[in-house]
Amino acid sequence: MTNYLIRRGFQMVIVVIVATIAIFALLNAVPGGPLSGLNLAADAKSRFSPEDIARLEAMLGLNKPFYLAYLTWLLGEDWVDEVGATIGNPGPADKMWDTGTWVDFQSPTCKNVGGTNAEWDGDGISPCRRGVIRWDWGQSWSLARGQTVTSVIGSRVQNTVILMSSVTVISLIVAIPIGMISAVKQYSKLDYAVTTFSFFGIAMPVFWFGLLMIILFGLKFKEWGLPYFPTGDVFTTRVTPGSLQDVLNIQPRSLADRIAHLFLPVTVLTLLYLAGWSRFMRSSMLEVLRQDYVRTARAKGLRERAVIVKHAARNALIPLITIVVFQIPGIFSGAILTETIFNYPGMGRLFIDSLNRDDWPIVMAILFISAILVVIATLVGDILYTIVDPRIRFD
Amino acid sequence: MSVAEIDVDALQAEALLTDKPERLLVTYWKRLRRHRLATASLILLVMLILLVIVAPIIMEHRTYYNVSKGEYLNYARDTQDLAARNAAPTSAHPLGTDELGRDVLYRLLVAGRLSLFIAFTVVFVQETVGMFLGAVSGYFGKWVDNLIQRIVEFVIILPTLPLLLTLSSILRDLRIEALPPEWSQAVVIIVILSLFGWTGACRLARGMVLSLRNQEFTEASKALGLSDLQIIVRHMMPNALPPIIVSATLGLSNVILVESALSFLGFGIQQPVATWGNMLQDVQKDMFTAPWKALYPGLAIFIASLAFNYLGDGLRDALDPRLKL
Repeated sequence: MTNYLIRRGFQMVIVVIVATIAIFALLNAVPGGPLSGLNLAADAKSRFSPEDIARLEAMLGLNKPFYLAYLTWLLGEDWVDEVGATIGNPGPADKMWDTGTWVDFQSPTCKNVGGTNAEWDGDGISPCRRGVIRWDWGQSWSLARGQTVTSVIGSRVQNTVILMSSVTVISLIVAIPIGMISAVKQYSKLDYAVTTFSFFGIAMPVFWFGLLMIILFGLKFKEWGLPYFPTGDVFTTRVTPGSLQDVLNIQPRSLADRIAHLFLPVTVLTLLYLAGWSRFMRSSMLEVLRQDYVRTARAKGLRERAVIVKHAARNALIPLITIVVFQIPGIFSGAILTETIFNYPGMGRLFIDSLNRDDWPIVMAILFISAILVVIATLVGDILYTIVDPRIRFD
Repeated sequence: MSVAEIDVDALQAEALLTDKPERLLVTYWKRLRRHRLATASLILLVMLILLVIVAPIIMEHRTYYNVSKGEYLNYARDTQDLAARNAAPTSAHPLGTDELGRDVLYRLLVAGRLSLFIAFTVVFVQETVGMFLGAVSGYFGKWVDNLIQRIVEFVIILPTLPLLLTLSSILRDLRIEALPPEWSQAVVIIVILSLFGWTGACRLARGMVLSLRNQEFTEASKALGLSDLQIIVRHMMPNALPPIIVSATLGLSNVILVESALSFLGFGIQQPVATWGNMLQDVQKDMFTAPWKALYPGLAIFIASLAFNYLGDGLRDALDPRLKL
């Protein structure tokens, strides 16, 4: 087992590193990039001169060759001149316009302090980038210019965790019994209803479902004079007459206000999760009900209830580990489509917005963290399997 | 036991022995027919495909009154009518018009062409590539197998949707000069989607080939002097086909959903080229004035995806050799 864990840990690190290298390579290899839109301004006055652009590139670190950009992103830039001096390779001349040495690849702030964080008092943003490995995720370029990536993500992650964990918990609580009953009473009316529902759920485009919910609970409810639901954001800024908050007298920024805003996104996601998970639960239970030990339990005269609950259900729950564990990355990275539809300020929206604004530090941070979480989730899932089901062994 | 009875049994046995065996495809078809929803889905899909191919051709030869131009024009994807923006359904525009006054029905039909074309191409590419790599992996074993399976695990473990979005946001401005813009966009999307989708077919084919590799017909083929590549393509891949067909059918539904999600978010096919996904892109702005715009493209995605799912489910039952009639 120890050997197995070491090997898996090693593999995990490689997967994450290769994935980030690939993304970095792509971001850097493709022409365009965040500065391509700068000179679209029509009049000559507001255009940027080549020097300005070079300065901007240096500030954002875009002047670096790809491998160096990756290494400074990961490990920081305060070592660039030392290592560079040892290697002694001056690199492409057009990018190293200033001193002609590796120092040119440091950001201006870092160059000013002599390429070291030694005099930095540990407050705010360090003059030299310290790299992801030393918990410096960089600063946002365009979405929230000047703010650190950690603070931008920090302001969103809470909303997403609230949304996704309520969806996960509600879906599990409903999906497990539905799937089990549907399997125990296979081919009953309930079973047909569950199967049909899950087919519909799998085929349903999330964003369209979201739009339909907005039409029904926002638009039509308003038309019909019913208390209509808020269709976006997390809190009310101004209570409109006739809305749910007005009718139930919900104070802005209260817990009830949050729940009112969560209602639509949670409903949409829950119904879709339910569709998949109840089907999964059903097939897992059907599989177990066919096993010899269930027949044995019946043969020794146990009551059907005891057979189902104690012998079948407990074993049928094992594959559910995969589902629950793979929710972990989802709880962090959020639901991209649902958050976009409901204008919900969570991680999914943040990701889409930063992609649209070419805010690469945020994009990289989210991708990096989700890759790590996915990899960890897979490992945790595998280990949990061996704990829950002693028949499974890794060597 | 009377003599007559024996005779009947013998006759039946003889009939069974001498009769030509039923062709496999016929058996599959008979089995599929028993799955009513799958048959209905198949018919629906064939009709849908014919509709999106034929209907736009007919519409192109018909005219409607374009208010802002003040004349009768043929239906077209990009013809705007700024005087009739977000118009409710009428006889000229059975599904209304969009925010630029373009006919929603015509756009929906040509969008269907592109969406379905992308889905079929992606699935064809990813299943073929996956099947080939899987067969190679299973056939050669050793380090080849190890390498390919590690790559498969790597691709499976990646967070798909965020990576798809990142890739398409990087590549959406890429233009292949030799192709008209809509085809160039489609090619980019097809490549990106295929990149993540081949692993399923690869695993299925590998499993199948592992069980076939040591059977006599493989040795016979080797003895006959066939090269490894010939054995893989002629003998291994066709044997892995039934489960792959099932996974491909379910894959079609998935690709339709993912492509429409990408286009909806603005990272897939760009306007004015229409796909079912990007027709829903800015629909939220006009939600309160023109809610019908939100209805039909989504319905098309939903129906196509549902039908492919039911068809895949029916095919799984039909092609499963463990299932006897």
